[in-house]
Amino acid sequence: MSEATEMPREHEIDTSWMDNMAEWGITAKPGKRGLTLADVQVGSYGDLPKVSDNMTGRPRGSTARPEAYRVGAYQVHTLSEIWLENAEYLYEEALQRQWSSATDIPWHTLKPLPDDVEEAECLLCTFFNEVEFVAGDVPARWIARTTPDYLEARNVLSAQVMDEARHMDVFRKRALANGGGLMRMSGATSGFVGSIDLARDFTEMSTRLHISGEGAVLTMFRMGELFGQNDAEKTMYRLCAQDEARHVAFGVMHLRCLGETAPERREEIECYLDEAEAQLMAGQQNPAGRQSESSEALAVLLGGGSEYYDEGHKKLLVIRRRQLKEYMKRVISAGFADRFENGRSPVPAQYAATA
Amino acid sequence: MADKLSSKAASVDRESKIVDPTKGVPEPKYDWRGLTNEWGVRVIPGPHGLRLGDINVGSYGEVPDYWQDQTRRPRGSVGRPGIPPLPYSLRSKHELWAECSADLYEEAIQRRWIPATEVPWDSLKTLPDDIEKAVCQMCTELSQSANTELEIITYWQDRMSYGYFEVKQYLATATFDCARQLEALRKRALSNGGGLGIESRGRVNRIILESSGGWTEAVVYLYLLRGTYITRLLTGLLSAAHNEAEAFIYSHMLEDHARHLTYGYDHLEYASTHHDDASLIMGTLLAVGEAHMAAELKEGVVSSAMAIIFGGGIKGARTHGMERYLVLVRDFINDYLAICRTLGIDREKSLHPVFKRYLEG
Repeated sequence: MSEATEMPREHEIDTSWMDNMAEWGITAKPGKRGLTLADVQVGSYGDLPKVSDNMTGRPRGSTARPEAYRVGAYQVHTLSEIWLENAEYLYEEALQRQWSSATDIPWHTLKPLPDDVEEAECLLCTFFNEVEFVAGDVPARWIARTTPDYLEARNVLSAQVMDEARHMDVFRKRALANGGGLMRMSGATSGFVGSIDLARDFTEMSTRLHISGEGAVLTMFRMGELFGQNDAEKTMYRLCAQDEARHVAFGVMHLRCLGETAPERREEIECYLDEAEAQLMAGQQNPAGRQSESSEALAVLLGGGSEYYDEGHKKLLVIRRRQLKEYMKRVISAGFADRFENGRSPVPAQYAATA
Repeated sequence: MADKLSSKAASVDRESKIVDPTKGVPEPKYDWRGLTNEWGVRVIPGPHGLRLGDINVGSYGEVPDYWQDQTRRPRGSVGRPGIPPLPYSLRSKHELWAECSADLYEEAIQRRWIPATEVPWDSLKTLPDDIEKAVCQMCTELSQSANTELEIITYWQDRMSYGYFEVKQYLATATFDCARQLEALRKRALSNGGGLGIESRGRVNRIILESSGGWTEAVVYLYLLRGTYITRLLTGLLSAAHNEAEAFIYSHMLEDHARHLTYGYDHLEYASTHHDDASLIMGTLLAVGEAHMAAELKEGVVSSAMAIIFGGGIKGARTHGMERYLVLVRDFINDYLAICRTLGIDREKSLHPVFKRYLEG
């Protein structure tokens, strides 16, 4: 404690903390893309602990105080549980690609649609309004459970929470902006065992949410050009696809990282994939799946009306085929290609049957 | 409306469909058609686009005092029997509502900022070591506060039911704001020859994170008590910014923080006017919280770092720097008491003695 001369004792200047700064002399420089999170991963600040002992919520690399309260009961505190190689890039990309559903969608291009088409669009919007926030609620929960030492991964999840809020919002807006309304909920996102919600492990959750759930939705959003009836809808699906691609990338890269750094968990992951694949085409969560009402709505939209349902259904099969193909590509990219070669996965056969 | 739509659905020529799913196109059931609570809604975008608040029309804009449904049924849509519930524990409006939520959500989106490319990092110039240390220590402290805010919001977010989705939407923006603040502060600390400082002991972080009784209780500590202080800290830092980069960061953090406080104060007002015991509970919580806040204020790290920044170095900190910081704390306590009065919480008579001493100068 330094001497104070002019102020009462209780307001003396304390400089003792100046002797306890963390690594000093850091001058991270901005690159071509500005000063990114990757740029500040320098010196000890870039060191990621394999097991985090940070239970006080301190920023990674700061000096620990022995008397600090252990307020962070972080369930996720080993690197392999949540890490991915490109987290900092996904986060920066999310910041650059934020958009506004209020002002970036050309709402003026909405024109009255035939009742069956409007109903189909509104059913799809009701479905997305319902499911998009699973993808908001659940990552939010895992942010609070993850040590801040893995801030890059947590920041990507924070961006996802924001993205999903916007998705929920844009689909609600669409349903209420063109003479329609919301329809019947699907119930696809409820608390069944093996659902995204109830997973008690981050990787289990991520496999269901990012790889299978959002993966299927991403393929669909990418086909929005086919079933969007106007520029407003096409823009909506295109922008959502852009966001969704980041979320799927998170899951793929995390799974790859886990497979490489925690090989003892590979069989467990294979089991999650077994469960996910059993639901891929049969479950309610895939809006283009065989069992869902939304797939009927999609066929109406793809055909351009219920009188062209057959044509729409043929296009729906193309979407399903593409969903299967893209799913396999993601799982292969994540390092789990064997399952498609050793007969464990039913997806190659399903894919072949759609040819 | 439902009947009309159903009859249209029935008019579709189902005979033409192939029933066997293995041979071709399955027969569509269309049992979803016509199932709506309200049809014919056509909201037109205004001069600021199509905002979340604009679509609160007809039954879709009815926000009930209690939301029975524990599924993710979008408000205004048709329910489906037999859906297993999810653990949404906040189902009363007074537990989370703030009228401004939808507006704050849209504002947050319009006012987004990007630390990597919008902060003028090239304006950073080498600072005297004592000042750089003080700035970096404040970045460390404010990071930990933002982290606490992020963790408490995300702890409660998925417990909030869908009847009040505007609040969930707004809190999603607050989550993102906190992540961005963590990022921006870290970048500032690591880009001008400094580094991070020593972590906070975390007295107030602790009371925020341990306020597990309800979201309103967390808001009392997070925004009314600590948030009001953070606003003054950020205002002070902005007024003493050493370069354009710092000014940009602090001013944008202030914008974000202003939204967070607007939600917080608005929610506490709603809770205190719609729940009999709310003001008294808040008063009890604050009596406890003030003691922790007072202890944190007396710890000396933040006060010294701010005094060094205000005083232009350690020497000036001992005189006008600390005086300016004490004015900042006095302003905070006056703000805090004013908001308490607005909320019908009487804290003046039993204000913590340390707070009183700051007021008396």
